[in-house]
Amino acid sequence: MATAELQAQGRGDVAEKSSFHIGMVFPMVRATLWGFIGYYAAAWITAAIMGQVLFDPAPVLFGYLGGLTGWVMGSGIWEGWIRRGFGGAEAPVLTGVDRYFRFSPDSKATATRYVVFNIISFFFAGMAAMAIRVELLTPDSTSWWMSEIHYNMTFGIHGLMMLLSVVSSVIVAGAGYYLLPLMLGVRNVVFPKLLGLSWWLVPPAVVATFMSPLVGGFQTGWWGYPPLAQNSGTGIILYGLAAATLLTSSVLGAINIIGTMVYMRARGMSLGRVPIFIWGLCAAAILLTIYAPATYTGVMMDMSDLVLGTHFYTGATGHPVGYMDQFWWLFHPEVYVFVLPAFAVWLEILSAASSRPLFGRNWAIAGLLGVVLVAAFVGVHHYFTAVSPARFPIFMTLTETVSVPTGFVYLSALGTMWGGRLRINAAVLLVLMGMINFLVGGLTGIFNADVPADLQLHNTYWVVGHFHYTMLGTVIFTWLAALYWWFPKVTGRMINEFWGKFHAWWFFIFFNCTFFPFFIMGIEGMNRRVAVYMPYLQPINDFSSISSFLLGAGFLIPLANLFFSWRNGKKAPENPWRAKTLEWHTASPTPYKVFPEGMEPVVVHRFDDYSEGSPDPVAWDKTGAGESR
Amino acid sequence: MATQSNEYSSLMDPASERAKRGAFVFFMLFNFILFAAFLMERWMYGGYGHAPAALNTGLGAGMLVIVLLSIVLTVMTRKRLDAGDDTGATGNLALLMLAPILLIVGTVYSWTELPIGSPFGGVFDLNGIWFVLQFALTALAILASFLKGKRAPERAKRERWVVYNVTSYWLMLAVLWVGFFLDYYVA
Repeated sequence: MATAELQAQGRGDVAEKSSFHIGMVFPMVRATLWGFIGYYAAAWITAAIMGQVLFDPAPVLFGYLGGLTGWVMGSGIWEGWIRRGFGGAEAPVLTGVDRYFRFSPDSKATATRYVVFNIISFFFAGMAAMAIRVELLTPDSTSWWMSEIHYNMTFGIHGLMMLLSVVSSVIVAGAGYYLLPLMLGVRNVVFPKLLGLSWWLVPPAVVATFMSPLVGGFQTGWWGYPPLAQNSGTGIILYGLAAATLLTSSVLGAINIIGTMVYMRARGMSLGRVPIFIWGLCAAAILLTIYAPATYTGVMMDMSDLVLGTHFYTGATGHPVGYMDQFWWLFHPEVYVFVLPAFAVWLEILSAASSRPLFGRNWAIAGLLGVVLVAAFVGVHHYFTAVSPARFPIFMTLTETVSVPTGFVYLSALGTMWGGRLRINAAVLLVLMGMINFLVGGLTGIFNADVPADLQLHNTYWVVGHFHYTMLGTVIFTWLAALYWWFPKVTGRMINEFWGKFHAWWFFIFFNCTFFPFFIMGIEGMNRRVAVYMPYLQPINDFSSISSFLLGAGFLIPLANLFFSWRNGKKAPENPWRAKTLEWHTASPTPYKVFPEGMEPVVVHRFDDYSEGSPDPVAWDKTGAGESR
Repeated sequence: MATQSNEYSSLMDPASERAKRGAFVFFMLFNFILFAAFLMERWMYGGYGHAPAALNTGLGAGMLVIVLLSIVLTVMTRKRLDAGDDTGATGNLALLMLAPILLIVGTVYSWTELPIGSPFGGVFDLNGIWFVLQFALTALAILASFLKGKRAPERAKRERWVVYNVTSYWLMLAVLWVGFFLDYYVA
């Protein structure tokens, strides 16, 4: 069967179509209701048994666990998974719109839910950022806006939410879970129900973090360092549990990514032919699987100190620096979990947009995996001010090592464009801007890794600037690029290119106006995490704050663009970017079944060969016609 | 919602038994590292000395015997599965489910022996909590496999990877508990 014929068959599958009606959202309403009931029931029972009030650590802990359980059970997981797992009736088959509103093993529905929830989380965490910048319009702490305590809570919530419910999943989950099976030529991931569960763990964690001020909040920033955590308010319990829940969600996805890539590739897809985006996802997933456990234990031990009365990090026998070790063991590498898939998106898009094979493809893969190898050692630069000078050269060298594999990836992106005829649409423009931002973020990172510079810049706004260039400037730019690039695949429609490019420039200009001054503030001595600063820094802070308001308001443009393009956008051709990877060989929008029963793709040529007369990399064959891999 | 036909369920869960069992190793790897970190914390936070005298070694030895017996039973279950004797394997699962339940009881009882605020007692009890959680989840998974084998044998036959994965996970827990015994009771 030819690809065009197969796409036509996918589009004609009328059995999958169903229109939305309000009853479909019932599982989400039920989950919310059961979540609240679960929280209050567990918290009240715990408080009654222990003779405590609802705001004490133990009732909050058990309340959260009860709420999480209620929410997940309300999602439809019983009839969708557990009942049949115990030998009960078969799970209902959800092929229509309803699968987006309840527990479903369809990876496309899971990914779509991630995209929507990422946008919601980004909005609220972004509003927290706006609140921070309003506070910093004036240098004193007697602002009409919020107290120093509320400022501390706000930047902690902003940091945790942006990291663990936005940048950790925007590319890996929103784009990755959708494209993983499509790019590998299979209909679903290896553990679809676990992947479905991963999304349902996210909303309670996010809600709990935003609600944490109601039980006293937490003033530790997103690190939760003891002993500050112990003196911070009961909200730190919700911080720890939310972080653990979000990590669990990420790990469920990571196992699916590695397992699907290793065991479920289409026939003919050797590792050398696996799309570079999948390599990026896999590198991030390996990293998470290996490095997350130590941090998990740290969070649990911190919670244990708070609730059970242990003294791992507190009291005469406690070791608070031990928490730092356990925390940074994952949470420095975690930034590579965010950024490696973004790198891979660059390479995937640039190769197709310039119709050129990926330059130094094997070196790029080595770069992605090389970052995984050195990732844990890079975290030691967080201890420059906590260790003896004898360790400085070792820690500095280990940290700077990461620039080598990163350089492989960056050079691969440059080499791919070099000599090519790059077709610049909104997605490509955002990739190029993301690369420029990353260059600034990466170069300023060298100063953080360099001991003499770091001892001066440590704990200043320089670090905040560096971090935002790598996270917002790289990951979020690339997220938008990915949304625009694969929008036709998911919806069957094109985005409005004018507004896409308009916002790209808006984003780029006001992003730099907001965050480049951070480097100057840092050099001038402005401390991070503090609501007050020296009055001579007010003009530059005001400039940054006003830029940030424009930056934030600008996000209404892509939101409107995506929504209106989804409803009324121009119909997309089957392969608008002339890309060759497998996802573009199926119908758009992607049918529920992806490709018809009885057929399977066979990879017969590499995906990045754009030379004149190169063969189609995919052939369609009857299932079981060839030897299984 | 189409509830009658289930034609898509296998189509949309297309992983082979090899894939399901192979991918599960990554899940076990994650949990193994997590447990290993907990076991190491006995030395990081529990002090370098011997276990406190108040620790009930007899109880620990009794739990060790249960763990070792469960390993034998698990290996027998897998051999029956390999031989295609699904009914026999299902029968073994009923017996195997006793192991995590007994271990939960033993672990909970052991929490009364050492003060949780002491360095050794804290890390010992936290390890115990983590084991209890894992034992409970595994007991539920074994129960699910047993009930599926009884109530829907044809489906259970198609999804034998579930039993393989559940027993693999139990084997990992059992080996880790032996490590826990050596780490906390003997060393």
